[in-house]
Amino acid sequence: MATTEVTSEVIGSVWKVEMSEGDSVAEGDLIMILESMKMEIPVEAPVAGTLKEILVKPEDSVEEDQVLCLIES
Amino acid sequence: MSDRELEDEGGYWPEQIAELEKRRADAAEMGGEANIERQHGAGRLTIRERIDALTDAGSFREVGSIAGTGEYDENLKLKKLTPATYVAGSARINGRPVAIGGEDFTVRGGTSFGAMRRKGGQGGYIEDLAHHYKMPLVNLIDGAGGTVTSAKRRGYVVFPGVDGFERSVELLGEVPVVSAVMGTAAGGPAGRAILSHFSIMVEGSSQIFAAGPPVVKRSLGQEISKEDLGGPKVAVNKAGSIHNAAATEEEAFEQIRRFLSFMPQNVWEQPPVLPVDDPVDRMEEDLLGIVPDKRTQPYDMKKLVGMVVDRDSTFEIRPTFGKAVITMLARLGGRPVGIVANNPKVYGGAMDADAARKQIHFMELCDTFHIPLVFFVDVPGFMVGLKAECEGTLREGMRAVYMAGQLKVPTLTLVIRKCYGMAGMATCNKNDIDLKIAWPSGEWGSLPVEGGVAAAFRREIAAAEDPKAREKELEAELRAYSSPYRTAEALAVEEIIDPRETRPLLCEYIALAENRLKITLGPRAKAGVAP
Repeated sequence: MATTEVTSEVIGSVWKVEMSEGDSVAEGDLIMILESMKMEIPVEAPVAGTLKEILVKPEDSVEEDQVLCLIES
Repeated sequence: MSDRELEDEGGYWPEQIAELEKRRADAAEMGGEANIERQHGAGRLTIRERIDALTDAGSFREVGSIAGTGEYDENLKLKKLTPATYVAGSARINGRPVAIGGEDFTVRGGTSFGAMRRKGGQGGYIEDLAHHYKMPLVNLIDGAGGTVTSAKRRGYVVFPGVDGFERSVELLGEVPVVSAVMGTAAGGPAGRAILSHFSIMVEGSSQIFAAGPPVVKRSLGQEISKEDLGGPKVAVNKAGSIHNAAATEEEAFEQIRRFLSFMPQNVWEQPPVLPVDDPVDRMEEDLLGIVPDKRTQPYDMKKLVGMVVDRDSTFEIRPTFGKAVITMLARLGGRPVGIVANNPKVYGGAMDADAARKQIHFMELCDTFHIPLVFFVDVPGFMVGLKAECEGTLREGMRAVYMAGQLKVPTLTLVIRKCYGMAGMATCNKNDIDLKIAWPSGEWGSLPVEGGVAAAFRREIAAAEDPKAREKELEAELRAYSSPYRTAEALAVEEIIDPRETRPLLCEYIALAENRLKITLGPRAKAGVAP
């Protein structure tokens, strides 16, 4: 079992979380949407697996490279 | 003596030819079996294998093949020749000549070789060859540079720059220079890698830094591995010291061949035009739906560019650095073009300091080698916020504007969506015809309406009964003026097109630019003081 950290590419805030812990994800699935520079920034699963943990909630501020969630595969 | 008699004696110059053969054979052995095995064991090719893998079969013409250190017996007869630590010569890549050289790590770890004339590195023969014969230079770097032991041999220490970078610097304005970091590079070889138009390193086996872990430990007390200090995660993704990373040496060679396929041999020639089977009048239906209606939703800019240019012709430079802007070499109707495209997926395409640096280098590269530029514009402005200010976004961004203002190469500006402010200015070339083509999704101005309204009508909004509603009202009122067609009425953008017409139009203009390119060949004029 490998755990993949899904990180934020931007400084901004969490707008919507589209999945829940325990959901299975395919590569490219939309996990959440961030907001930065007035744009919606999709966070997509880099690998397939199970969404083990979501570390942020809507309206949280996020930093670049901050870990947003963990995928176990 | 007759020919017949000569043959009986063993031919012309028998001993001399035998000695040449012995010297060549010794040199071909490089640093010996054990060292070659160690090089292979580390997953690395030897310099001779690298040259063979990168260049056309049988095309390598070596120079200085028997330079090295001779060992002699008591009669001053050669016992063994240890070759120099650098292998150099000319070769062909896709049929076109290049100067190529690299350190032989199997001989004394590729450290500098003291001789009358240097073979490679700064000011070496290989640089003279590229300079005088006006052909691209490929550096295959795998050496540690100077060694303190040379001081003991010489009896004194050399002053920095005795073997200077003058020629390396001169070459940057004359011929394409490619540096591949194939091992651990520090000091001089690391500096040599940076003085290039395109540089690449190999994941897992290359590192580059000003100074390696032992010096860091001694100077700062920090313990850090060479991979953590100078692997591609730092050197390529964060620092941008090296442009691209490759998974293997073979992939690095493929990227080098690809980069050179877009380049002219030198600044006095035009970039190579290739036959193309992708029709120049191809109307790509999918371009119509690629930009979402909702202004706040990003889209895949790389995919968009890929649909416009000749099929499979893109080669991205610095894909993992300064990602708010995408820089790619590509072809339109077989002709090389430089693509600068904003990436709405990264900060909405806002220009930060790294993106500005990346765009500046790429614009200069294309301007130097007469490769027309096409801007795919979707830029909301400079990046904002404390981090961006600390990183010097304003200064770096204005350097991009300054550089765009000096371009001599034909430039086309295609506005896909946003084009705002000074970052927008860095996508136009006022020295050229300044043709600005926009899609109907285009919008532009000094600054976006949102935010702009809040600043300009601050008092009015604050005094309103429902400030939020008043702000929205004002925004709607001003947005009515921002239709791209109103700007086109005033010929303040020259043309608005159906997205499907993009490829035919760009191909036509790039073909038209060819005659203009012919009369502007030669070195790029030096500019004044960059901000």
